[in-house]
Amino acid sequence: MAMLRGRRVVVVAGAGGVGKTTVSAALALGLAAAGARVAVVTIDPARRLATALGIPGLGDEPHRVDPSVVEAAGMRMTGTLDALQLDPRATFDRLIAREAPDDAARDRIVRNRIYRHLSGAAGAQEFMAVERLHELVDSGAYDVVVLDTPPARNALDFLDAPERMTRFVEGRGLRLLLGPRAGAGRTGWRALQAGGHMVMSVVERLTGAQLLTDISEFLQSFDGMYQGFSDRAAAVHDLLASDSTRFVVVTGPRPEPASEAVALWRRLADERYPLGAVVVNRVHREPGVTGTPDGLAGLLRRAGAPDPEGLASRAAAALEGARARAAADAHEVGTLSRALSGPPLAVVPSLAEDPVEVAGLAQVTRALGGGARDPGGSAGAAPPPDQARRQTT
Amino acid sequence: MPSPPLTDRRLVVVLGKGGVGKTTVAAALALGLADRGHRTLLIEVAAETRTAAVFGTAPPVDAPVEARPGLFALSVDAERAMQEYLSIQLKVRPLVEMMSRSRAFHQVTQAAPGLAELVTLGKIWDLATAVRDGRPVWDRLVVDAPATGHGLALLQAAASMRDLAGSGPISDQADAIERVVRHPAATGVVVVAIPEELAVTEATEAVTLMRGHGLPVACAVANAVRTSPFGPGDADALRQVRADPAAGSAERAAAGAALATVDGAAHDAREVRALGDGCALPVAVLPVVADLAPGSGGIEQLSAALMTDPALGGAGAA
Repeated sequence: MAMLRGRRVVVVAGAGGVGKTTVSAALALGLAAAGARVAVVTIDPARRLATALGIPGLGDEPHRVDPSVVEAAGMRMTGTLDALQLDPRATFDRLIAREAPDDAARDRIVRNRIYRHLSGAAGAQEFMAVERLHELVDSGAYDVVVLDTPPARNALDFLDAPERMTRFVEGRGLRLLLGPRAGAGRTGWRALQAGGHMVMSVVERLTGAQLLTDISEFLQSFDGMYQGFSDRAAAVHDLLASDSTRFVVVTGPRPEPASEAVALWRRLADERYPLGAVVVNRVHREPGVTGTPDGLAGLLRRAGAPDPEGLASRAAAALEGARARAAADAHEVGTLSRALSGPPLAVVPSLAEDPVEVAGLAQVTRALGGGARDPGGSAGAAPPPDQARRQTT
Repeated sequence: MPSPPLTDRRLVVVLGKGGVGKTTVAAALALGLADRGHRTLLIEVAAETRTAAVFGTAPPVDAPVEARPGLFALSVDAERAMQEYLSIQLKVRPLVEMMSRSRAFHQVTQAAPGLAELVTLGKIWDLATAVRDGRPVWDRLVVDAPATGHGLALLQAAASMRDLAGSGPISDQADAIERVVRHPAATGVVVVAIPEELAVTEATEAVTLMRGHGLPVACAVANAVRTSPFGPGDADALRQVRADPAAGSAERAAAGAALATVDGAAHDAREVRALGDGCALPVAVLPVVADLAPGSGGIEQLSAALMTDPALGGAGAA
């Protein structure tokens, strides 16, 4: 947690299903508690998280978390916390409005069928997450923005997203092929015309002429905006690669997400992104007692249990199960630690339920080394430690 | 019109949030269908080869790999499917090679949103309609779809392309594919979630979207649902022991572990209900399986649980 103080951007990445949203919210809460003006951008529709934070729902616009909700959970709040959920289409529309030279150009793009499909496409999410991050940092309203990254097959797709989008908008090769239709009748295109014409006539035979016309119009309407996109992609890359940013990789104590976390960490290191920490989420704790519960049947009989012997043996099996899970998780954390050899590893214990109230979130924050206890506040009821999480492959 | 049971539909698409166990559920279902004597193809998309780890086989990249008697796995990748498509459409080898090599052509395929998904769906459709000696090559096809957003894009690919390309062979093919994908006698979508809020919410929203698009959602699967071996009368006695300062530490810890099991099972039961209510679908419930390694019997256990679940019977299907 300490390593995140004073940063402007915290990027939380990891495989699907490891609890990225929870860790993002817990980190944001810790930074806000320590005095920063924080915005956390979530990708998933975490409604109960919103309810827990006392905001009506997560939307494209930031919602301020009432500090009394946090203080009621026993955490002193000296900064501010805003939460919002990414809306790719709204973000894209704003980007177009900002970059378009005039309203007519903006309307031409927003009405284009290719644009409408593109802005709603699944891949747009990665690009728009980065774009929204840029908007929030630029707004100057926040000391730090915590970004929960979109689930993707390659969890780092979003890093390449601005550049991919820029290349697409530029559409250099495509313009050459589409020829005068896309307004590319300048130097050089004649040389490619013969081969290009053949390719395009094949494509046209398959798709019909309308699609190519739409693509041409789409690319034409971006004329003059390329530089803006390109500058923005460069600015985002510089920000993410700078010392103002820290990447946090979230994983779970299971082989599959753990190996994804190792791959992610190595790729970040290779590409010289500023590394923060690896968070192993939902790790089962050792029950912390030794010995077997030999006297349990007697105790249960006195407590009025209908079948004390049977119940005692099932309860003993539950204890053994809890020990076995804790041992398996500890083994997995050890393997991960050796594979990574170096980065700080933060372990978050498994809670009975995913934290959907501030008290639970505050527990995660404390596990990550943040959030001073509020001596005046009353500690919220904390969920008991979990005894059985689940496999997800 | 009552929809046929999921097990009678030729094409089953398994969808859900990342990390909920889509691959496991798709593999369990495919295994169950193969066990019933259907020649079954389990399809992974976007160059994933995770079923190889489930069944302990080589990655099925080039051709279907037989993972179990009657059960084959295949990984479908858009790039390769595009080349296949071109060679069928163009029939002229040098032209196909020229197209495949053309950077501009790759830019066109990137520029047309959803074309990669359409080609993938087209390949699945080809497999579903393939005939050899007058009989379908595959009796059943189970698709392990990518995570929700991308999975929905895959299912919507035909409709998107029909809207974009007004005419021409692609539009006609998209139309034909879409009719099959939307037909509840031919296709069934299974939504997978784990009993956690985010996964349940995402499943609910995905089902609402799919219904809006006229896609045949058949049932939901709650994966990795914890159960408890403790009865309603047990909890009181366990609580007394846990709170008893005179009891030994191991005894109190055992009582605590048992109560955590009770709480976990109650939590999961609530989320399973929320999944069924939110999606308005029958929910098949799969237990937590500690070991899913090939040869451990884990996938067989899940397959048996899934195939005997009444939720697969088609009652209440959209």
